[in-house]
Amino acid sequence: MTQAREPILKVRDLEVRFSLRGRTLTAIRGASLDVFEGESLAIVGESGSGKSVFVKSFMGMLDKNGLVTHGSIEYGGQDLAKFSAEKDWLKIRGRELAMVMQDPMTSLNPLKTVGAQIGEAIRLHQGLRGAQLKEAVVAMLEDVGIPNAAKRARQYPHQFSGGMRQRVVIAIAMACRPKILICDEPTTALDVTIQAQILSLIKELKQRHNLTTIYITHDLGVVANVADRIAVMYAGDVVELGTAEEIFYQPAHPYTWALLSSLPQLGIRGQDLYSIKGTPPNLFSHIKGDAFAPRNPQALAVDFEYRPPYFEISPTHKARTWLLDPRAPKVEPPPAIRHIRQVVGREDS
Amino acid sequence: MFKYFVKRMLLALLSLFVVLTIVFLLMRLMPVDGYFADRSDSMNEATKEAVLRSLGLLDPVPKQLLDFYGKLLRGDLGSSIVYRPRVPNAEILADKIPYSAYFGLASVTVSLVLGCGLGILMARSKAKFWDKIGTGYILLINAIPSIVYYLFFQVTVSGALGIPMLFSAKNPVTWILPLICMSLGGIASNAMWTRRYMVDELNKDYIALARAKGVKNSSIMVHHVLRNAFIPMAQYLPSNILYTVTGSIYVEALFSVPGMGGLLVTAIQRQDNTLVQALVLIYAGIGVVGLVLGDLLMALLDPRIALSKQGESR
Repeated sequence: MTQAREPILKVRDLEVRFSLRGRTLTAIRGASLDVFEGESLAIVGESGSGKSVFVKSFMGMLDKNGLVTHGSIEYGGQDLAKFSAEKDWLKIRGRELAMVMQDPMTSLNPLKTVGAQIGEAIRLHQGLRGAQLKEAVVAMLEDVGIPNAAKRARQYPHQFSGGMRQRVVIAIAMACRPKILICDEPTTALDVTIQAQILSLIKELKQRHNLTTIYITHDLGVVANVADRIAVMYAGDVVELGTAEEIFYQPAHPYTWALLSSLPQLGIRGQDLYSIKGTPPNLFSHIKGDAFAPRNPQALAVDFEYRPPYFEISPTHKARTWLLDPRAPKVEPPPAIRHIRQVVGREDS
Repeated sequence: MFKYFVKRMLLALLSLFVVLTIVFLLMRLMPVDGYFADRSDSMNEATKEAVLRSLGLLDPVPKQLLDFYGKLLRGDLGSSIVYRPRVPNAEILADKIPYSAYFGLASVTVSLVLGCGLGILMARSKAKFWDKIGTGYILLINAIPSIVYYLFFQVTVSGALGIPMLFSAKNPVTWILPLICMSLGGIASNAMWTRRYMVDELNKDYIALARAKGVKNSSIMVHHVLRNAFIPMAQYLPSNILYTVTGSIYVEALFSVPGMGGLLVTAIQRQDNTLVQALVLIYAGIGVVGLVLGDLLMALLDPRIALSKQGESR
């Protein structure tokens, strides 16, 4: 369904480095990704896999000590990786890509009314002033499902609950009228009952405004719920990419197997839950071969020597693992994830 | 808000009453010899008793206390006993407070403007040139005992510029050096706190969100960082301004500024009860009023602080 379209955002061989106390950390190691217009893409991976850094580099929001050192980020005929001046980024931030951040308790300015903070975005990107601006703010709040919007606009963030604040953050992002909405773990800080509401709100806004959405998450439940396509990241690289169906039901990379096996729902009563052995690689040092090899019980000798290329499984599905090489021995995915269909039960297709 | 303010003011009055009473009683515990100073030897017992009686010091302590508060309520601060005998305390203070207040207000203004300015500059160029210069300055001011650089300004700088070493109210040039001496410390501490609170704010998530929605860095500084960083400092601003009337002991003594600095020490040493009481009233009054005003200022600036009723959250 996505292969025929031109990507709206095209990332090639992106490398992002941070300098920390005189040492260099390579957070993104030559990752590539296409994002297609109107799709909903999820980037999954454990903490420290670089998924947040990856998307922050699309908006020039890396910390001051971080730098894109290689590769390109093509968007609207420009290479964002070459941007360095603030004035270039101001044409992208909000206007083209907007972001919803993880923790709504801290992502609003505590001293400004909610209305003022939404108004700031509307003024910047829609150029409204005065009474028109006020109306637009109230409309925006109504749009994200906040009752009593006119009154609520004059209140401060501390007068809102976590779920309501996240709606405000979403309203701010939407007020920019972006083409791509990046949701960086939008439900991680919320309690479970609110999570579903926020996800369905984002889905609804996506439909209504014809948005492209990128979710970053480590919650496979969220992914199953919202994603058309999934990119699995490990140690600063996209190790597997495919449609949600493909990733959940025909995963090919041992890391994806391990990640899926860690779903608590796949556990068997009375047995320990599955966890991936070992720790992620140290990104300060050069990584030789497949970054996941040291934690992979089925690793081949070649995994420790050479970095695998992408092997195409279908036109929409590819993975970076030597297991897919024709010369590789046949390795079966762990038995647990063969039952995943009963557990994950995606509601749409 | 109003109800809260009234309640705080009543509590402030109560603290003032407690402080004054304790100081009053402590002064009565001191040996009476102090009242005669060096004339003690030349006076006989009868004369001494007559002096004490005329000062009302032989009355029972509760009566003295009542008299004191009675006068105070009529706005009478009493007259000095030893420092300038029989001159009303109010007059003594009226002579001295203006000098201290002028210097104090000027130095608060200078150190606020320059200190916060330096702090903003430092926060914006964190770990770069201006930050390092500023840190060097703050370190220097805090490491050197202030009396050392006071003397440096009084002796070396005044010599180099040909400015008189001592203050004289009629010569405007002589205002400069005491003002510099009084401001250097304030500039350093204002710069340090401004930088620190700004850097704190800059690292917060809402700044990242403001950037993500496309707000310019310069307008993030003005609209988001500055006000938020100023709030923790605002609490002490009223006290700082009010305390300027009490003057600086060192600087005033060094440049012979006829201000309030050191008056309390002198009054206690010479056991000038009424003057001590008047001064304590001023110091304690400034203390409690400053705190109340500080809290009110915070409440005005920070909507999260609900003074009167519980904030609602849904």
